[in-house]
Amino acid sequence: MSVESFANGLYNTPVSTGIREVTWIIPAVQSVHIVAIAGVVGAAIVMDLRLAGVLATDETPRVVVKRHLPWLWSSLALLLATGFVLGLGEPYRVLMNPVFWAKMALVLTGFALTLLFRYPILHPDYRLEHARAARLVKPLAWASLAIWVAVVFCGRWIAYYQ
Amino acid sequence: MDPDAAPPNALMQALYDSAIGTAIRESATLFPWIESAHVLMIAVVLGTIAIVDLRLIGVAAHRRGARQLIVDMLPFTWVAFVLAVVTGTLLFLSNATGYYESIPFRFKLLTIVIAGLNMGVFHLTAYRRIGEWDDRLPTPRAAKLAGFSSLTLWLVIVFLGRWIGYSYPLA
Repeated sequence: MSVESFANGLYNTPVSTGIREVTWIIPAVQSVHIVAIAGVVGAAIVMDLRLAGVLATDETPRVVVKRHLPWLWSSLALLLATGFVLGLGEPYRVLMNPVFWAKMALVLTGFALTLLFRYPILHPDYRLEHARAARLVKPLAWASLAIWVAVVFCGRWIAYYQ
Repeated sequence: MDPDAAPPNALMQALYDSAIGTAIRESATLFPWIESAHVLMIAVVLGTIAIVDLRLIGVAAHRRGARQLIVDMLPFTWVAFVLAVVTGTLLFLSNATGYYESIPFRFKLLTIVIAGLNMGVFHLTAYRRIGEWDDRLPTPRAAKLAGFSSLTLWLVIVFLGRWIGYSYPLA
């Protein structure tokens, strides 16, 4: 089954139709989706700029990551949940859109970077200087921030690029 | 007097017809680019202000002291807010007459003003005595109230912003 026929099949299900026909559902879920990306961006700014050596450099990376990583994970969960509802409502517009797949690739990369380079910081013995690939920490912090910014741009462009 | 020539309508029509407004309206890509930047700036405003508001409510952040946390985060909030206003103004110009009529748009502007007043009240009251509660948790009631009302107002602003695009006369 092709993506196109899957999208069309999904479009005709009662759930998908319901999401489209109750007029307040899509704007409400989109608003929560924006609140969720704000949570991701807020947590990413503090953690990534700390690791880039720009913000709160007198606090250890562990203190900063310990406070903000849980917010990043829960915001990402909310982002995926609301994004899933939006995709369910308009599967064709989303699944057949290359900007959507670019956004998914970016989210996956952002997630992997967080898991590989933020999560280990929580370990009590973690020292930034001795970290694996210590030289990569700074550039990857900037890359992570750039990825979340690009995710926001892709999100808005899904609505315009057909 | 012809209603279309009444001062606000005439002004909105002039803004609509302005070179910038026309350029954004007639371009296929300018509006989405500016709108994307607008959403990003709102995400930065909400994301950074939420960290401060939650600390005022009593959720610990990466700084022990509330004052230092405010010093850390507020430059980001302010720069993003100014850029959100700039991008928002450009979006407004592209359809000034339409946005002017939009009820969620009017309420969004009103809510931004209330959020500003709320911040002013906080700075004139609880913030003046921050030395007494800077590194204390739970926070005093005045700080909790300021954090909770600020967070609520900004969430309402996001919802109203999204509703502009789905309501008459812009939907």
